[in-house]
Amino acid sequence: MANRRLLVKRRKAVRNIRKITRTMQLIATARFQAAHNAAVSRRPYTDKLAELTAGIAGAMGELEHPLMKVPEKEERRALVVLTSMRGLCGAFNANLLRTAIEELDRQAEKDVDSEVSMVGGKGVAYFNFLDRPMAEEITHISDLPSFDEVEPIASALIDRFSRGEIDAVDVAYTKFISTGRQRPVIERLLPLTQLVEGAEGDEDGRQVEYEFSPSPEELLDELLPATVRIRLFQAFTDAAVSEQVARMVAMKAATDAAQDMIKRLTREYNRARQTQITLELLDIVGGANALE
Amino acid sequence: MAEPKLFDCSVVTPERMVIECEARFVALPAHDGEVGVLSQRAPMLTRLDVGPLRIEQGDGDTESFFIDGGFAEMVGNRLTVLTESAVAREDLTREGAEALMTQARGMEGYDDASHAARQRAMRKARAQLRMLRR
Repeated sequence: MANRRLLVKRRKAVRNIRKITRTMQLIATARFQAAHNAAVSRRPYTDKLAELTAGIAGAMGELEHPLMKVPEKEERRALVVLTSMRGLCGAFNANLLRTAIEELDRQAEKDVDSEVSMVGGKGVAYFNFLDRPMAEEITHISDLPSFDEVEPIASALIDRFSRGEIDAVDVAYTKFISTGRQRPVIERLLPLTQLVEGAEGDEDGRQVEYEFSPSPEELLDELLPATVRIRLFQAFTDAAVSEQVARMVAMKAATDAAQDMIKRLTREYNRARQTQITLELLDIVGGANALE
Repeated sequence: MAEPKLFDCSVVTPERMVIECEARFVALPAHDGEVGVLSQRAPMLTRLDVGPLRIEQGDGDTESFFIDGGFAEMVGNRLTVLTESAVAREDLTREGAEALMTQARGMEGYDDASHAARQRAMRKARAQLRMLRR
């Protein structure tokens, strides 16, 4: 009898949890859609900026700029790691942090000093647990970061790079490839390499003769930092979209698991009830037989 | 009267496409003064300053934005304004601009970098106030 009541209680608890995880799944789906739409509407700026840089590259021939200079020896570099603020998103943070730590260990072997700028409470907590040093902890970024939130981080990195305090900047984030695929990656932010993927002209393959104001060199001075800022922003956006997908998938799995568990508990409950009925019947039949 | 000649105009920030329309005239706050753009202007690439951006649309409406630096490109009868922030004229408030000014006044300006940042903030606040007076 006690066993049956226990089963009912557990089933009720699992039902409640399923209700919660299903709600969280719905929320994550809505957030994912919002983040994805935002990511799409953020693309034109990036594309246009690359186009402008290509236009200037065409006019200048060889591009040369402090932000593009590869230092002779890489001794100090910064790694920006984009984890999430909140948990319950499956292996999202674990996968990214594993990639980041592998990279850090690899760099340490090569005697490169890496300082970590950790974005997201989850990453901060994990590094504290491992007793790994962090140069910076950023835990005030919203779910879908706005440009104003990312800009100061990027500008500080650009500043330190141009002053020569760091020789390179990398960013570790979860790249959004499709709804079914997100991959933790490490990308180089500074120095800027692969700026122009084959400077192309307009449709007839002819370069446009721009009227530059001020000179192309001065324009480049503004364009390249803008490119770095937008690249970091893009990484933040990708990470935000990936996080929502990861949460969606994790919560779907949790809801499905709860569903299975409810089925199993119901079966166990029914079996326990049937056993009891059979026992009672046997008792009655036994009693009647004894009277005859 | 002949129909005014139109050209495509779009204003893009990192976060979204702010406006995409047909315009007959656009006034840009270029780094060296205001630049007016009409249809069929020669290809141009210019740096922008903080200041007002005015778009006279094909249907006669005028849209104004406060933009915070960036670039403008005119190519193939298509003007693209890239800026890190564009605020519609209607969304600018006197209080906001004054708060910006107070904040700029409160900034430290001891070395070159912080002084430049302070000057930039002041210029931005002043440009907003000027735009509001109009």
